[in-house]
Amino acid sequence: MYDKYMQLTWNDAIQFLRGIGVTLSITLISLIIGTIIGAILGLVRCSKNKVVSSLPLILIEPLRNSPLVVQLFLIFYGLPMVTRIILEPYPAAIITLSLNTAAFFAVLVHSSIKAVPEMQWQAGYALGHDLKSTFIYIIFRQSLRILVPQAITLYISQLQCSSLVALIGLMDLTKTGELITLRTMKPFTVLGIVFLLYYFISTPLAKLAQKLEKRVGFSY
Amino acid sequence: MYKLNFRFLSQYWGMLLEGVGRTFIIVVFSLIIGFVLGVLLALGRGSKTKILRGICTFIVDFLRNTPFLVQLFFFFYGLPQLGINTDPMITAIIALGINTSAPNCEVIRSGLLAVKKGYYECSAALGFTPFQTMIYVVLPISLRVAFKPLTSNFVNLVLTSAVAFYITVMELMGSAKTVTAHTSRPFEVYLVILVGYCAFTFLISFISKYIDKRISITL
Amino acid sequence: MAMIEVKNITKSFGDLTVLKNFSVDFTQEGVTVLIGPSGTGKSTLLRCINGLEKIDDGDIIVDGLSVKEKKNLKHIRLACGMVFQQTVLFPHLNVMDNMILSPVKLLGMDKKDAQEKARYYLNKVGLSNKEKSMHNELSGGEQQRVAIARALILNPKALLLDEITSALDPEMSREVLFILENLAKEGVCMLVVTHEMSFARHVASRILFLDKGTLVCDEPKDRFFSVVRQENERISKFLQFIGE
Repeated sequence: MYDKYMQLTWNDAIQFLRGIGVTLSITLISLIIGTIIGAILGLVRCSKNKVVSSLPLILIEPLRNSPLVVQLFLIFYGLPMVTRIILEPYPAAIITLSLNTAAFFAVLVHSSIKAVPEMQWQAGYALGHDLKSTFIYIIFRQSLRILVPQAITLYISQLQCSSLVALIGLMDLTKTGELITLRTMKPFTVLGIVFLLYYFISTPLAKLAQKLEKRVGFSY
Repeated sequence: MYKLNFRFLSQYWGMLLEGVGRTFIIVVFSLIIGFVLGVLLALGRGSKTKILRGICTFIVDFLRNTPFLVQLFFFFYGLPQLGINTDPMITAIIALGINTSAPNCEVIRSGLLAVKKGYYECSAALGFTPFQTMIYVVLPISLRVAFKPLTSNFVNLVLTSAVAFYITVMELMGSAKTVTAHTSRPFEVYLVILVGYCAFTFLISFISKYIDKRISITL
Repeated sequence: MAMIEVKNITKSFGDLTVLKNFSVDFTQEGVTVLIGPSGTGKSTLLRCINGLEKIDDGDIIVDGLSVKEKKNLKHIRLACGMVFQQTVLFPHLNVMDNMILSPVKLLGMDKKDAQEKARYYLNKVGLSNKEKSMHNELSGGEQQRVAIARALILNPKALLLDEITSALDPEMSREVLFILENLAKEGVCMLVVTHEMSFARHVASRILFLDKGTLVCDEPKDRFFSVVRQENERISKFLQFIGE
């Protein structure tokens, strides 16, 4: 009687798909929000004013240098206590992953702009552009070449990190995998499927990033 | 208004310290395993045999493109089925060690690639065997080049270790959860933990920068 | 008996045959200069002699030992010290440590003795005050001079010098060539691949001209620059081309 209960069924396949859906939706939304916030923070970090450029660090440093789990628990368990607002796991996950992504993305933006040789700025000014114009027409495109492959690598990494939302009970791909494993007692099969799913979503992006990185190696 | 209350620290600092201790043990052993495996993978990726190269590259890609949590589950639920019943802490060390070997492999490879062909030739011309060349020339140069990124990997290792609590390991995060349960003050507890990890990261970065300055070489 | 006997060797890189049925003998005396158009196997010959390149056919006997046997290579390489075009000072060691690495680790010399010997040779190349310097603190010419000293400290029977001034600007070239002249006067045996004709004129005792992997001419210097030059059209064209 128990054997039937422990088999993998088509229902499980549907659960997996649901799990993928949750994982992808959380990841995509967080990446979009995180990229926007991160871009703003990164640009502020490029300011010539030492005080202004240090301000984003207040957010960036703690987020980069502590475990994502701790950030997640702080927001999911801690914040509701302080603000008396009830927080569902799904929004909590998105807030955490967004902020975390923003911190890492800000560093990428800052470093990719700084990586454009000083000469390029001087060339822009010499041609009559002001700061804004130089940046938009000359610096920005060049910094993108460096930024994009690194950003893709970051996004892949954040996809893996999204699995941590299982720790606050969200039924993402990982949590689904765990529950089905526990039920069927077939860790190798079930988790093997989970592995392959993550792998096949991540690998094409990884190859894309590799290709783009090779293209960057032209001059500097 | 919510009143921040950090009094729990005086009561539970012992428990938290125990957690730090366990984190320390996990991290040190994972580091060693991860480094040794990383070197093996790096050598495998640079091997002349196509099959070995392919396998090692696949292993590294696989470890990097799948979540650590799933890898942890894999060992936690999978090993007992193979008849290996170990303490969750050991399982965590195995999983963490294997996971960190992938980024280590990449870093060590870039260190090895920094040693140009000319150095191998020159060393041979001076009469050294390939083995001697490895010890006196290749390793000293590679490790110096790889040092900074290796410490960066180490920091990531420590941050990743926080997940181990989920398979019932009472490291720092595990202790924190217990303290939270007792005190009902998740915000303060997790805030302290966050600051603790940050402090640790800064310490490692500081020491690493100092060491790196002293050992770095221009190629 | 000649110290280096090259016996009918052939060496190819893929489809390109660089050395064809090449034979020559070198004794442990004097300065032999190898000249000729680029890619004619001069560097390859040197590298085959100390075993950095494997010969396809034939044999090379150095100091009585064949290069074809792996176990002979250590002795052969210590007998023929080689200096390359691109200086390869180990970047993680300072000049002194670069010098004593081989004597101490390979020959088991005492560290203090090795340092004494190193100081002697550094003095010979004019770099006594650069013991503690790292490679990036030295000019190209200084690096090559250290490389020469590093080769000399192993008491080689001959120095193999592979275009060691080609990557240097004229001033640094002159520094290095000056050192080589002094060493030649002291009787150090050298096989030099170079394009520096003035060096060949002043210092060489024997000149080999290589073209397309074969030995076109093997003469004492004086004969080369007078008689042969007039007799051989190929050689005189080459010398004209490089401005002699």
